[in-house]
Amino acid sequence: MRNFACCLITLETKTGNLSKTRATPAFPVPEKLRPVLSMLVGNGGFRTLLARALTLATVEIPWLRAVKVNADGSLEGWEELHAQLGPEKFLEGRVVLLAQLLGLLVAFIGEKLTVRLVSEVWPKLSLRDLNLDQGEKNEKASKIG
Amino acid sequence: MKKPAKSDKHKQPRSLGIKPGKVTIHKLPSGVRGLDEILGGGIPEFSFNIIAGTPGCGKTTLAHQIVFANATVNKPALYFTVLGEPGIKMLRHQQQYSFFDEDKLVRAVRFINLSEIALEQDLSAVLAEITKHVTADNPSVVVVDSFRTVIRKAIASAKEMDTQLFIQRLAQFLTCWEATTFLVGEYSPEEIRDNPVFTVADGLFWLSQLTERNSVVRKLQVMKLRGQASVPGLHTFRINDGGLQAFSRTMGLGGMKSNLSHARRRLSVGIPELDKMMNGGLLEGDSLLVAGPSGTGKSALATQFIAEGLRRGEAAIMALFEERPQGYMERAASLGLHFKKPQDQGKLELLYLRPLDLSVDEITQEILDAVKKVGAKRLVIDSLVGFEMALAPGFREDFRESLYRMIVALTGAGVTILTTVEVEDNFTALQFSHYAISFLTDDIIRLRYVEIDGQLRKVMVVIKMRGGNHSKDIREYVITDKGVVVIQPRRTDYNGLVTGIPTRTGPRMTQDEEAAPEPKATT
Repeated sequence: MRNFACCLITLETKTGNLSKTRATPAFPVPEKLRPVLSMLVGNGGFRTLLARALTLATVEIPWLRAVKVNADGSLEGWEELHAQLGPEKFLEGRVVLLAQLLGLLVAFIGEKLTVRLVSEVWPKLSLRDLNLDQGEKNEKASKIG
Repeated sequence: MKKPAKSDKHKQPRSLGIKPGKVTIHKLPSGVRGLDEILGGGIPEFSFNIIAGTPGCGKTTLAHQIVFANATVNKPALYFTVLGEPGIKMLRHQQQYSFFDEDKLVRAVRFINLSEIALEQDLSAVLAEITKHVTADNPSVVVVDSFRTVIRKAIASAKEMDTQLFIQRLAQFLTCWEATTFLVGEYSPEEIRDNPVFTVADGLFWLSQLTERNSVVRKLQVMKLRGQASVPGLHTFRINDGGLQAFSRTMGLGGMKSNLSHARRRLSVGIPELDKMMNGGLLEGDSLLVAGPSGTGKSALATQFIAEGLRRGEAAIMALFEERPQGYMERAASLGLHFKKPQDQGKLELLYLRPLDLSVDEITQEILDAVKKVGAKRLVIDSLVGFEMALAPGFREDFRESLYRMIVALTGAGVTILTTVEVEDNFTALQFSHYAISFLTDDIIRLRYVEIDGQLRKVMVVIKMRGGNHSKDIREYVITDKGVVVIQPRRTDYNGLVTGIPTRTGPRMTQDEEAAPEPKATT
């Protein structure tokens, strides 16, 4: 799932760098997922999913406790953390949180539908390179290692 | 007044000829096998429908099937979810069905959650949100699930006029936008009266599940459908991996065409002497009932009937309810009748229909599917007792009626049917069956045991043949390694053979000269 999360963050970083017309949030991926998922599960549903993902991610990345999920489903506290943490550490936190969110979606609606929803937001996402099973194995292996 | 000029006369519409055309109501496929036939061809386009019923009876699954059968990228389906099953769980569950096409998700099938608007705002906000999405997406199908929860708040606050206005506006808007709409809701039959939504609706599909002893029976009723004739009554449906499957009370038989020629052939049953008794054989397209107690050779006779058809190039179906196909094949092989080859060639299908809780319509559908698949000319149902046992208790009441419809339709299409039924020999009367189904059959052959010369022997008699004359002889038969063999009439005279305990009317003149048809036991 981390591979998947990394792919999305990388893709979004490239897009963000290209569009210099307006300021992008520190973590734009959940922001972009929000309309699609809110339409499906409602604002409240999206907020709950994100809060659950954040709780799960905090076990691995304790500094994520500083992040809050707002009533509208947006995330608060990234900008401050971005300034405090180094780029690698900051990236790791975002990857873990996004991986947890995607993991929840996969647990509920399966890989196929998750990828289907995500590709609505990022149509250029190359599904060929996205091997979720492989990602899961890598994740387990890295934890064991 | 000026008379019309001659040339003007020609311009006037003629009294005979072209009439202004009626509007054609196009029909959408429901995506549910059997349902389109019940609906009279499909769901009327632009209709405003309600899918109602008690919890767990398949309302949401039906709505999904309709959505996935009709949604395209250009004409998508909008599925509004409101306080019922959350969208994420709906997707989790519905994707298990084979009709669920994930490629259609988002682009052709869009799920929109209205829960918060319904909870926090009023009906006009809900209507505004639906209007916004429908205007933007131009859908062909719109579903609101659960609709009841949308209007519950208004009803609770006693704003009845608000509710009526909302329903009226919603129906008007969606129809004008050329959307076929389905409102899904949990209702009880008592709520139909005085509920404005049922008045406005063009179609009302009522789903229910009834518990009968340990079985659950699912039923579907089209209580209302404006603009076209649906099949009335309660229709059985089942939910399996493919979603809902409906079994019309007409069993899809309307479309079966008769293959019968005016001069019907006589078909051999594979027992030459019995063919003679039947005036040359069984009439093509007849339904024959073979009744007799256990061990009298009903299944053997049925096997010979099928084997004879296969020999003549007629495909066949055997619907087995008591014996597994393997056992049946082995027993047929012991009679020199080998079914493996015709089975492999697709000329013969052995259906083993033993699971409990089936509806008679489901079994019938399976038989019909098999008949159509192999192009069967001969069908054996072995036996009626097993058939009835395979049914859920709730369906047993409909057994005779459904059987009648199936037999009439199949025989009308030229399929010749042999049905076996077990009856007890009570040694006082010659009963045909427990079911009082003689009216279902054109022909009846009764097998029975008789006591003769200290042996329990077997006799058969042709009781009736609608197609003409038949032998009235009571003939003795044996079951050999060739199957049922009718033996020559013995030259002994007996009365009361049909009672099972005949009495000799003449001297035992010929007994010493003629061996018993089957050897007596020696001690």
